[in-house]
Amino acid sequence: MRLEGVWVAYSGSGRPAIVDVSLSVPLGVMVLVTGPNGAGKTTLLETCLGLLKPVRGRALLLGVDTRSRGIVEARRRCSYVPQDFMRAPHESYTARRVIELGLALSPLGAKAAAERVEWAAKLLGIEDLLDRPIGTLSGGEQQKVYIARAMARRPDVLFLDEPFSSLDRESRAAVAKAIREYVNERGATALVVSHDVSPVLSLVDTIVRMSGGKIVEVGRRA
Amino acid sequence: MTLLALAALAAIFSGSLCGVLGYYIQRFGIVTLSFSVAHAALAGAALSLVLGADASYLALATAVSFALVLGALSPRAPRERELVSMGFFSLFNALAILMVYLSNVYVLSSATVAVVLWGSILAVTRAKLLALLGVSALFLTYLTTFRSQIDAIVFDRRLAEAEGVNVRLHTLAMLLFAGGAIALTLKLTGGFLVFTLLYNPVASAAKLARSARGQLLLSPLIGSASALSGLAASYAFDLPVGASIALVSSGVLLMSYLVRAFADRRAMSRLARGAG
Repeated sequence: MRLEGVWVAYSGSGRPAIVDVSLSVPLGVMVLVTGPNGAGKTTLLETCLGLLKPVRGRALLLGVDTRSRGIVEARRRCSYVPQDFMRAPHESYTARRVIELGLALSPLGAKAAAERVEWAAKLLGIEDLLDRPIGTLSGGEQQKVYIARAMARRPDVLFLDEPFSSLDRESRAAVAKAIREYVNERGATALVVSHDVSPVLSLVDTIVRMSGGKIVEVGRRA
Repeated sequence: MTLLALAALAAIFSGSLCGVLGYYIQRFGIVTLSFSVAHAALAGAALSLVLGADASYLALATAVSFALVLGALSPRAPRERELVSMGFFSLFNALAILMVYLSNVYVLSSATVAVVLWGSILAVTRAKLLALLGVSALFLTYLTTFRSQIDAIVFDRRLAEAEGVNVRLHTLAMLLFAGGAIALTLKLTGGFLVFTLLYNPVASAAKLARSARGQLLLSPLIGSASALSGLAASYAFDLPVGASIALVSSGVLLMSYLVRAFADRRAMSRLARGAG
């Protein structure tokens, strides 16, 4: 994953959301992107994933330019947990179906997919929530369902936007540990955007600090 | 087959097809885009008055071409989609009226113009009915083949895109099916009211059923029942068929809102009694 002198601007905003950002993230590391509100953390993550296109510079995901058609294929090797995940109370999809939908493009058969869903649910400790409509779950429970969906895909790159925002302290530590273990076991990369650094600080390999749309500091574990 | 039987079958099939399509169009967040596709079909049908060609096929050609243009433009932000759609909506309405003006018919009540503007049961032919069945079968095959990907978009469009589902392609497919359904339904309902069958049934279903599956099952039932009842009312009272269908489906929508409001109120007072 690489950003080369990337500028991103939202239509009609008049000023860029991220400015001349360059960053290279190899496979097999866990990166924390932190900074105050409005620093450009989510914009950076969505640019890496190709959901936002640079107005200047170049973004590469798994070696694929995010402006090219190949980005759709590259995204199939990634998972994403969005910041705004809350579903309305009347949303009737069960937690199980929500996780299953993450496997929409997977070659897994029905039985293997069901096992994968169970595995991810166990990892997040939400087995007993699987058959409940997602709209009836609490914010923290819904967030765990989204993280389980991301893990069930067994991606090469995990993009997690504020994945601890609705979790209690115990769950934060458990989820952060599960992400670290996944990175170690599969040689995957995790890009975690969080303004709350405490759950992951001791687990990450690299810390990127942003402010005003720029990367102001990159720290790597020795 | 009698004309009335043909029209009844067309009403049932177009009501069902539009009911299911309407559900996906609403959940994909492309209601206004399909609204402008409907008006592209109207402009195409009106163009047939000038060129003397078949209204359905010209409507199909303009609706499908415009759906492809929209697919290429692919406005992503909801606000941008609204603006683009409403711009095209005005343009197509203006073109339709211009075509009616330029055509050789001098009074709006003439049979040719009536078919384009407010529909006619006389305009339903065996060939059009078969075309409608063909589009319905194709749409069902598409839904079955890509069920998980379509469901992923229905649940969360942005997340599906981030996971590598080709949201742009599926949006284009939905718009193309909408174009086909609208063009083939247009002669029954008329160009100005064709959108009624795409929007009203799913809006009613959303009020009456809580689950996504319930809405998906109820929407085509309401669509075909509205189309069939509208057709019957038109036949019985000698009214324009498109307006009759639109009035019936609007009535169903109003009733659905009332039923939901009544049910919510009852549930709330039961809860309050329980708490007390």
